[in-house]
Amino acid sequence: MTATRFIGILRKYEKWFGIVALILISAGLYTGLVTSSADYFQGEVVRIMYVHVPFAQTAMLAYSTLFFCSIWYLWKRDAIVDNACHAAAGLALFFTAGGLITGAIWGKPTWNAWWVWDPRLTSFAIMFLTLVGYLMLRTFLDDVEKRATFAAILAIIGFIDLPIIHFSVEWWRSLHQPLSVSTRGVSIAPDMLVPFALMSFGVGILFTYMLMVRTQLLYLEHLLEAKQGRFLSEAEL
Amino acid sequence: MKRLYIRWTVLVLIFGSITCLGILRYDREVKTVSPAKVSSEGAKGELRLLGMIEAGSFVRGVEGKPTRFMLSGEGAKVAVVFSGKDEDESLRELKTIVALGKWETERKQFDASELALDPNYGFVTSAYVFSLIPLAFFLFYMERRVSLLYVMIKEEKVYQSETQA
Amino acid sequence: MHFFRLIRWIAWKDLLSEYRNRENVSSMFFFALNVILIFSFSFSLDPDTIKEIMPGIIWVAFGFTAIIGLGKSFLIEVNNDCMEYFQTLPGPKGAIYLGKFLGNFLFMLMVEIILFPLFVLFFNLSILDQALPLLLVSSVATFGLSALGTLFSALTVQIRAREVMFPILLLPLSVPIFIGAVEATRGALSGDPFSMYSHWIELLTVFDVIFVVVSFWIFEFILDY
Repeated sequence: MTATRFIGILRKYEKWFGIVALILISAGLYTGLVTSSADYFQGEVVRIMYVHVPFAQTAMLAYSTLFFCSIWYLWKRDAIVDNACHAAAGLALFFTAGGLITGAIWGKPTWNAWWVWDPRLTSFAIMFLTLVGYLMLRTFLDDVEKRATFAAILAIIGFIDLPIIHFSVEWWRSLHQPLSVSTRGVSIAPDMLVPFALMSFGVGILFTYMLMVRTQLLYLEHLLEAKQGRFLSEAEL
Repeated sequence: MKRLYIRWTVLVLIFGSITCLGILRYDREVKTVSPAKVSSEGAKGELRLLGMIEAGSFVRGVEGKPTRFMLSGEGAKVAVVFSGKDEDESLRELKTIVALGKWETERKQFDASELALDPNYGFVTSAYVFSLIPLAFFLFYMERRVSLLYVMIKEEKVYQSETQA
Repeated sequence: MHFFRLIRWIAWKDLLSEYRNRENVSSMFFFALNVILIFSFSFSLDPDTIKEIMPGIIWVAFGFTAIIGLGKSFLIEVNNDCMEYFQTLPGPKGAIYLGKFLGNFLFMLMVEIILFPLFVLFFNLSILDQALPLLLVSSVATFGLSALGTLFSALTVQIRAREVMFPILLLPLSVPIFIGAVEATRGALSGDPFSMYSHWIELLTVFDVIFVVVSFWIFEFILDY
């Protein structure tokens, strides 16, 4: 598939993803913030869940996209797939940061601490650092194909490492002290399930839309760079 | 470029109206007064009193007697009488709650008809503000940049999209 | 048997050049010595505190030596224009990785074995009866650290700002090694029975196996450039 054709497909279908995401998220926000009732134990604070959990899930979705795109790149060596990898990494970093920030804001009233060394939080923090390393690695490499290959390798290694990190932190925590506050097992009433599902799917589809836009952006920037570079070399001649 | 700005204006309007609905829904519940203000200045009508149940002051109501405790906040204490039933025994000392009821000036006590958990609206609002507003800015920046790039590249006549061709 | 001969020769080459100039091991060793000195100034040295913080000190020192030593592992090949030679080698490229990895693993282990007596000396530890479990823990953890470190060394050696990028990539992803090694070392130092901390060694072994296999497979892509 040529890059032009791929970009053409993205341009054709992106708006549908955008519209569906818009509908789902506005419905999710309306039901989550206006009509749904507060949780029995957590009170109104539970409404943070409708934005925190979708962000965290989408961060995982973005990282998985990065992983599969990286394998695809190493296999097929399409430059446009590398642009998709780069786009997915940027979005994964954004959603990870969002998940960590909303998680800290949720943690303060429920656990009375901004940060707890819980396995999930720790894995997300390490994922954040890995993604920062990934994007830094990309900025330090100038050769396009080398950059794409090295970045793909790092993404694959990091993705394989994530479950091991999660597992080791879980062991480490459970040995030191029992988890005084568990982040899991938030039982969801049907009243809360509706906004939760709407926001989950909405943010997930919004991620797909953002991925399409950002892939185009990176592709076009490279195209422009290549063209301007060509002009420069012609002028020098 | 024009279509981008129109689209984003529509988006801002949609989310602005949801925000307004949310503010309308919570406006009545958000307003709380502190025990310090009630005890020094007094107050009239239905109130929402926000404070922490003082340690050692909590007396659970049994057999028709009301529950009594001191609610403290901003350096002052107020006696609260709650005649309703704490069905799930969710009340305990050092818990932050909101008491709904009336202030009785003569007896210097607060007659609570209903007790609720501290809503922590500030945390909820900041979570949404810190996640959705950066998201909107990020998305807007990307879309604007893409439209700009398409214009720039079209002028340089290097790329022709198949959908436009 | 070309494959195993290649591994052996590359590891042998590294060990021999190290024997001749002693650059890597001595820099790793003296750096770790400095770290130990700084730690001994920073913490109060009563026996109870020492027991609590010792595993952390040991593994922070070893982690720094890994950054110093492993980061330079492929630099010597780039400086001597050996990367092109590696690229043209017949046979699976993973063998080059395994050879370099073996060399690095032996360097690291050597430095750690020299450092343990110094911990005894500076911090008044008694580890003689626990020497065997400690050796097992450090070799299993060093195995994983060198596996990941060798791969990232090959990855970062050709880029700008490699001294910065190497620890930034290596440290977050080696979190399981540090957790496992610190916990197992704590168990060994406090004289617990082996079964109390053997699960950490299992975790480290799983990490080692996964990352040696993945790096072996993925190394070919690095060497293509």
